[in-house]
Amino acid sequence: MSRVEGLLARLRSVFRPSDAEGRMEEEFRFHLEMEQARLMRDGLSPEAARRQALLTFGGVDAHRETMRDERGARWLDDLGADLRYALRAMRRSPGYALAVALTLGVGIGVNGMVVGYVNALLFRPVAAKDPDQLVALFQRDMRTGRIGELGYGDYRDYRERSGAFADLAGMSGVPLNAAIPGPSGAEAVAGDMVWGEIVTENYFSVLGMAPAAGRFFQETDAPQGANPFVVVSYDCWRRRFQADPNIMGRVVRLNGTEFTITGVAPRGFRGLRMFGFWPEMWVPIGMHAVIEPGSTGKLQGRGGGDLMVFGRMRPGVDRAQTTAAAEGFARQLAGWFPATNADLTAMLIPAGVGFDHPAYVKPAVLVLSSALGLVGSLLILAIICANLANLQLARAAARSRETAIRLSLGCSRGRLTRQLLVESAVLALPGCAIALALLQANQLTERYLVPKLQFEVGLAARTDARVLLFTAVVALLAVGLFGLVPALRASRAKVVPPPASAGTTWGSGNRPTRLRRSLVVIQLALSVVLLVGGMLFVRSLVAARAMDLGFDTRDRAMLSFNVGLQGYDERRGQAFYDQVLAQVRALPGVANAALARPVPFDTYGQTTAWYVGELANSRDGTTRIPTSIASDGFVAALGLRLEDGRDFTAEDSANAPPVMVVSRTVATRLWPGRNPLGQQVRYGDAEGPLVTVVGVVADAKFAVILDVPGGHLYLPVRQHYRDWQTLVVHTRGDAAGALPRLERVLSGLDPALPTFGKITMEEAVAGGLSTSRTAATIAGFFGVLALLIASLGLYALVAGAVAERTREIGVRMALGSTPAGILRLMMREGARLGAIGLGIGLVGAFGVARAMGGLLFGLSPGDPVTFVAVPVTLGVLVLVATWWPARRAVRLDPVAALRSE
Amino acid sequence: MPRSDKPDALRGSIDLLILKALSLGPTHGWGIGLRLQELSRGQLDANQGSLYPALQRLEHRGDIGSEWRSTENNRRARYYTITRQGRRALGEEVDRWNRFAAAISLVLEGGS
Repeated sequence: MSRVEGLLARLRSVFRPSDAEGRMEEEFRFHLEMEQARLMRDGLSPEAARRQALLTFGGVDAHRETMRDERGARWLDDLGADLRYALRAMRRSPGYALAVALTLGVGIGVNGMVVGYVNALLFRPVAAKDPDQLVALFQRDMRTGRIGELGYGDYRDYRERSGAFADLAGMSGVPLNAAIPGPSGAEAVAGDMVWGEIVTENYFSVLGMAPAAGRFFQETDAPQGANPFVVVSYDCWRRRFQADPNIMGRVVRLNGTEFTITGVAPRGFRGLRMFGFWPEMWVPIGMHAVIEPGSTGKLQGRGGGDLMVFGRMRPGVDRAQTTAAAEGFARQLAGWFPATNADLTAMLIPAGVGFDHPAYVKPAVLVLSSALGLVGSLLILAIICANLANLQLARAAARSRETAIRLSLGCSRGRLTRQLLVESAVLALPGCAIALALLQANQLTERYLVPKLQFEVGLAARTDARVLLFTAVVALLAVGLFGLVPALRASRAKVVPPPASAGTTWGSGNRPTRLRRSLVVIQLALSVVLLVGGMLFVRSLVAARAMDLGFDTRDRAMLSFNVGLQGYDERRGQAFYDQVLAQVRALPGVANAALARPVPFDTYGQTTAWYVGELANSRDGTTRIPTSIASDGFVAALGLRLEDGRDFTAEDSANAPPVMVVSRTVATRLWPGRNPLGQQVRYGDAEGPLVTVVGVVADAKFAVILDVPGGHLYLPVRQHYRDWQTLVVHTRGDAAGALPRLERVLSGLDPALPTFGKITMEEAVAGGLSTSRTAATIAGFFGVLALLIASLGLYALVAGAVAERTREIGVRMALGSTPAGILRLMMREGARLGAIGLGIGLVGAFGVARAMGGLLFGLSPGDPVTFVAVPVTLGVLVLVATWWPARRAVRLDPVAALRSE
Repeated sequence: MPRSDKPDALRGSIDLLILKALSLGPTHGWGIGLRLQELSRGQLDANQGSLYPALQRLEHRGDIGSEWRSTENNRRARYYTITRQGRRALGEEVDRWNRFAAAISLVLEGGS
């Protein structure tokens, strides 16, 4: 106890020095006055008594100093001096400080960003109360090993009859046509297709989360089918409802039916799946009949279904027991319903970070990729620290004389070490600030890197306390690594510097070690590989933009809608299509208009099966070919090149003979050497209807811009009705400007029908390049980073050599070496290492370029521009990085240089 | 706080003397000096100021505590009290001192 009090007293005296000082002075005064009074009582005069008291007390100032030292005031004073010294040093060489801040900041920041993703991927628990209690329930087929989701019938039995769980809920994703009226109801309707989830009515109560506003729907609200309630996500509330505080009770039309908003989900809740679209709305499964018109099986079904089921374990029961109970119940189900459930057993998966289907999202893959990312980013940071330590060593070597003097004057080694450490820490601070800024930008970078799809996806990596803690630890380690090693080395310096006459330390004395040299070579080689890769990607992107896509991207506006979700049947849908096309074609400024889906660079593709006999690889003689369903006039509207035959016309109706248009590749594959026009294929299978080819178009790229265009065929929408279509309009002039007019036509025909995917073809093509753009960005970023690190390494190497060979340089100058000669001498080593690094890097880059040849388009892997530009740029940088520190050698005063050491 | 075992006779003996003086009852710095003078019959009166660094050290170590109090003449003074830990330390210090003194005298007698 008293030890603690003692410590407290000590801390008080350190942090409130004025208190301790006052107390000390008062005690001294009291002592002297008492002593003086005592001596006066013994008969001394006041002056004599005072003198005698001071004498027996001893040197007052000396006692004061002893007490101050012991209190630790000295320690603080020293720290202040160290800080001032470090700041002065930083001001003296701002370039050095900037280099340290940049590399360290990026190194630490990259670690933080990677950890942000790893955290989201592996460690951030499901956003629910007591996530440890949550498990996902799948059915595994013991015969095939297939893992599947549940049908509603099985779900209901597991929930009500198994007794294995405290409660179970289920969900399945669904696109929703959402029409959102303005706050006062009658105002303009904003419509869009949004991603939603059909969930069991107890979904939110099983999760046990609290709504951000309003309340969640629940089982007791209303009977199933009479519960048109919807919960919206926080992001949806902010974006689509302008964060309206009175959102509760507002009505939205979902797939044509009115739903009442009851609540807003908590901020950051984006559903339970990590790898899935982010849902914006949740609707009760009881309303499935209006959400998915025509589907009847949602509230029944056994032996597999589309319900992702999860639940809470009973309190006090662990997972093994729950699994055993569920498996037992699966056997009972198999007995009751042998036709559907005979081979099915239950499979439980802990919630972890989400409820992704274990067959598609393999935990081991996630762990492995996370580990790779972490190790990679830590390695980068380690190399950065090694370089910075080299730099600090070089600077310490340049100051070895100062160090020796300080040591011989009685400066303690601990004190010296501390001063160098403080210097490193001060240098590291701006770096940490940069790292923090990078962490803050994590969400922006994710938006940039994640592909743009019809609905939002992503990891929503956030900088939470855990990420910050990890980054802070990494930063501390980094500072320790690059600060401590040189500090310890420097403090081991000899007290007496080697006498000036000793010539043994010349030249070969402290040459950079083999390790340091090979590190620089490796860094350079790596940056060559990365930069070549990045540049090839960028050049291939540029080439891709100029490339022939097989169709005309200019002046094309697109807009999508889904009439099926709105409850249209085929007859009504076809009539609607006719009206849309008639009205749009009548608009001024419209050259052509048609419906088609998928259009080039759509999110989803579509294939159809054809019976081609022995041409197919399959046993039943069918093959699947990518297909677009299109209206009359699609060839002109999409800007495809008609090579032979004709476009679809209004006469290709349901009663007319079935027809199709094929791409050149399909034609040559199915009818090599023959005229494809008039050829017939069976649709579906060997018994399917015969479809006649009436037109041949040039191959167009539909999915990936860098792909070789594959075969594609087109079927008339009048003969193959689809409820989801994209309106493609060839405009005369500004395509983007035509979009609002197209929207007006649609809303004039059906005000409640949401439209989405409003985009020009040129924008869609750019979106299709996003993966390559991401690859180019990442390769470029790490290439530049590696380059920065490598230049720093070279700089450190040469600077160190100059510092250590100062005396030798002085001698050479005194013996008549020209400045140019000295410069050559100092640069030789750096240039040699640079050349080796470049050479190795170029060889590696050739290999990598060859390997990624398949991803490049429009240029050869040995692209001369890249393979000239990168080495030349790097060569110049190598020369600058060696010349800069070598300059100092030339500027040395020969006399001073000779005196050094 | 670890106690240094280095033979530091002077510093060690000041600590020992202060603890001994305070074991007789709480008093202020001047009072400690007075007590030591009386106990040593006037032999130990030089450099009284060096008591204060020692007092600060002992307080930080937790062997003694301190507080402001009034003297009989109504003056404010810092009074020091020995803690339980201090009493334990005093016992150990006395043992150590006795061993040290015995060793020294053995050496001195052996030489004569």
